[in-house]
Amino acid sequence: MPNPQSDVLRGTLDLLILKTLTLEPMHGWGISQRIQQFSRGVLDVNQGSLYPALQRLELKRWIDADWQTTENNRRARYYRLTPQGRRAVGTETDSWRRYVSAVEWILATS
Amino acid sequence: MHAFNSVVLRLRALFVKSAAERDLDEEIRFHLEQETEKNIRAGMAPDEARRRARLVFGNVEVAKEAHRDTFGVRWLQDLVADARFAARSLRRSPVLAGAAVITLALGIGANTAIFSAVNGVILRPLPFVNADRLVMLWESNPEYHWDQQDAAPANVLDWKEQVAAFSDVAMYDDGTSSLTFLGRNGPELVQAATVTGNLFSVLGVRAEIGRTLRDAETWSPKGATNRVLTVSDRFWRNQLGGDSTAVGRTILVNGREFTVTGVLPPTFNFISPDVDLWVPEGWDPGNRSQVFFRRAHWVRAVARLQPGVTYAQANAQLQMVIRRLQTQYPATNRVMGGGMTPLHDFFIRDTRRPLTLLLTAVALLLLIACANVGNLLLVRALARWREVALRLALGAGRGRLIRQSLTESLVLSVLGGGAGLAVGWFGTRALVAMQPPGLLPVDQIRMDWSVLAFVAGVTVVSGILFGIAPAVWNGHRMPGDALKEGTRGAGMGHRARRWGSGLVVGEVALALLLTVGAGLLVRSYWKLTRVPPGFDPAGVLALRLNLPGLKYDSAGKVVAFYEQLEQRLRGVPGVDATGLSEEVPLTSWGWTSQFRAQTWPADRYGSEVAHRATSAGYFAAMHVPVVRGRNFGPEDRRGSPPVVLINQSLADQYFRGEDPIGQRVSFDRIPDSTSTWYTIIGVVGDERQTSLGAETKIQFTTAFAQDPSNGMYVVIRTSGDPSAIGPAVRRAVHDADPTLAIASLQTMEVVRAASLARQRFFMTMLMLFAGVGVVLAVVGVYGVMAQLARGRRREVGIRVALGATAAQVRWMIVRHGLRLVAFGLALGIVGALFTARAMRLFLFNVSPGDPPTFIAVPLLLLAVSAVAAWIPAVRASRADPASTLREE
Repeated sequence: MPNPQSDVLRGTLDLLILKTLTLEPMHGWGISQRIQQFSRGVLDVNQGSLYPALQRLELKRWIDADWQTTENNRRARYYRLTPQGRRAVGTETDSWRRYVSAVEWILATS
Repeated sequence: MHAFNSVVLRLRALFVKSAAERDLDEEIRFHLEQETEKNIRAGMAPDEARRRARLVFGNVEVAKEAHRDTFGVRWLQDLVADARFAARSLRRSPVLAGAAVITLALGIGANTAIFSAVNGVILRPLPFVNADRLVMLWESNPEYHWDQQDAAPANVLDWKEQVAAFSDVAMYDDGTSSLTFLGRNGPELVQAATVTGNLFSVLGVRAEIGRTLRDAETWSPKGATNRVLTVSDRFWRNQLGGDSTAVGRTILVNGREFTVTGVLPPTFNFISPDVDLWVPEGWDPGNRSQVFFRRAHWVRAVARLQPGVTYAQANAQLQMVIRRLQTQYPATNRVMGGGMTPLHDFFIRDTRRPLTLLLTAVALLLLIACANVGNLLLVRALARWREVALRLALGAGRGRLIRQSLTESLVLSVLGGGAGLAVGWFGTRALVAMQPPGLLPVDQIRMDWSVLAFVAGVTVVSGILFGIAPAVWNGHRMPGDALKEGTRGAGMGHRARRWGSGLVVGEVALALLLTVGAGLLVRSYWKLTRVPPGFDPAGVLALRLNLPGLKYDSAGKVVAFYEQLEQRLRGVPGVDATGLSEEVPLTSWGWTSQFRAQTWPADRYGSEVAHRATSAGYFAAMHVPVVRGRNFGPEDRRGSPPVVLINQSLADQYFRGEDPIGQRVSFDRIPDSTSTWYTIIGVVGDERQTSLGAETKIQFTTAFAQDPSNGMYVVIRTSGDPSAIGPAVRRAVHDADPTLAIASLQTMEVVRAASLARQRFFMTMLMLFAGVGVVLAVVGVYGVMAQLARGRRREVGIRVALGATAAQVRWMIVRHGLRLVAFGLALGIVGALFTARAMRLFLFNVSPGDPPTFIAVPLLLLAVSAVAAWIPAVRASRADPASTLREE
């Protein structure tokens, strides 16, 4: 069950990870590259902080992970969305949109 | 499912840490490799590529830490690490650890032992079905100062029938009787309880084999021959062979035949653990309408409340019925009140307060122990100030330091708690062995889960208590301290030394509290032993016999037997004199009544007068003086005019100013034509009937020859050691009647000591705790004085260099210590004045502010502390001033 009280700002990284994974399963480095692409380099992710976030999402059972081999025959841990995770993306996106519109409204009326 | 999985993951992370960490390591390595390759493809040199990759990644260790943190078991890992660190550092200072563990073991052990007693006696519920629905019913009489006394059966039966809140009421005779059982090895005396048939159903107890008793068996119309009884498990195994044929068998008790209905469970214990036979009352149904059935109070009544009825409701109904009986039977019940008490509360009414006193004492002892250990740890923290400051400078959080310090204290307290458990186990056994028989239910006192939980709780609380001071002190260190050089301790340990002084003041105050308590009990006991018992116990043997009613069924036979026995006994070498008495002093006492003198006006009567019958020889044998008039003589026989002796107290209270000799008295308040009139022929000296601490009862003594009973004491005065003639006495009894068993044979000195056993036990316990408390406090004083002396080393060095003598230096330090101790004593005295008041019920002829105790105890503690302060003072005065000043 997605936690409606989750801190949206902190969840930005979580949201980005989830959005990344909606396209296809991916390993940690790949996720960091994709996020950098999304944000057009603006969000310079402290790449190390990716892993605690991935761990959090894994504990929440929104993503699942297992070891596979890459094209270059290296061992990497691939993450993918679970059904709950897929549902959570929708909810998180909604709350993010709500937050953003709230901020816009405040900015507009001041 | 989600929660369970995450818990599994967390636990896996905690215990199978290496696997998760290896995974992460590999992931991060892969990440860095990919990033490096990306940089190389972008054209960087390999070294530069790697450097940039690491830069972009951020701090690897922080990422790993954060990753680990997400498991949320960080605090647990820290705790385990802290505990390991604490264990290592304790191993490095074995003396301190040993001292602390021993101190804690004493404190926690004492608490464990006493708590196991409190648990067994006060906290554990009675082992009966729904025991909280059971109440004890009692009667009271404000005129006689009777409270929670035995009830009269007729009243109880009325309560049973008229109080709807009681589902059933059972009765039992107060006390047990000794009956002669004819077993395989001859006649033996067994303890029997006389009960109504429904007692077992009220308590909710079933027989192991066969059945218990039936309610109908309470009543035995005259001439009924089938008597039954139920036996204890012990009796069944020892006397009946322990097999199933015992049920239904007929046994011979006191010459009568009884059929065994069944065997009770081995764990059943009621009235007394010695009871082997449970005999129904066997009342004649016609008794119910007789006056004596409502006037004589000799039963205890246990009632079970109906389900759903509250205690208050039941009591209200009971009081209503009692008031009704007061008007219905004015002759007997006019002033009789009554009430009920929860059964458990009733049984522990005598032991609850003393046990609470002991529990308070050991709690104080534990506080002293914690203060000592706290001081030890504070000194250690003081010595390690540099290490702590360094760690602060290196970035350790204050919270972490405090947590670490507390963990160390907890590790110490757990070690102390473990040792304390062992001490407590021995202590519990010692307690059970030392207690006067019958005071505490020994089978209930053992170490069970509640006691273990108590030990665990006490351990943790102690750990926190003595850990606070050093933890807080550690937490207040500044990282800048690491830069400070030298042991400029004056400013450094100032607060720690203040704490240490405070702890010592507290310890001394608590030790004083304990010692004053013990001192008051000692004074009480001493005063008790000085109370003149009224007779001379030295050299007197008391032999108790119960002649079976079937064989000795007439007064003539009883008198003849005892006179013959006395003659035999007087023939035993070493015997100076013998006498007979229904009761001996300093044991529990018999019946009381009212009385009237013939010359008194109609509204004057005496009440609460005790009775007994003795032979003429009793007074000489016991060295009780005949103060006025004459003793019984050969002319006072069956058929002669009834005579009676009164004791001095009775003469003083009711015959002041007149001569009691020659007056006629009757033992009824309103004598009628059937009353017997006794002539007072003499006044004898007072004897303490129940105990040295209780007032002498006013008492009538009738002549044995005119008023014999089957159960009598034969008192034998010997010129030498009374116990030496024991075998000869037994032989004499055997010669007089081989089928007779001896109920008891004791010296009166033993009886006297037994009457003081309770007070002696509690006094000994409190003295023990006070002793340990004083030792601990003195050790604490020594420790703090050593610490203080060390802190003033530079000052001492300067003084000596300026010309102070060793004696002056010594005095300076000792004075400091004595000031602290005096402050502690003053606090303690104030506290003791308050707490001693709470002890008033335990004191005998000693006021709570007893001056000798309040003067002697502080002086004693001051003296002992002075010695404890002296040693470090001597050492300080011997220190070479040059080397102390050079030490920077």
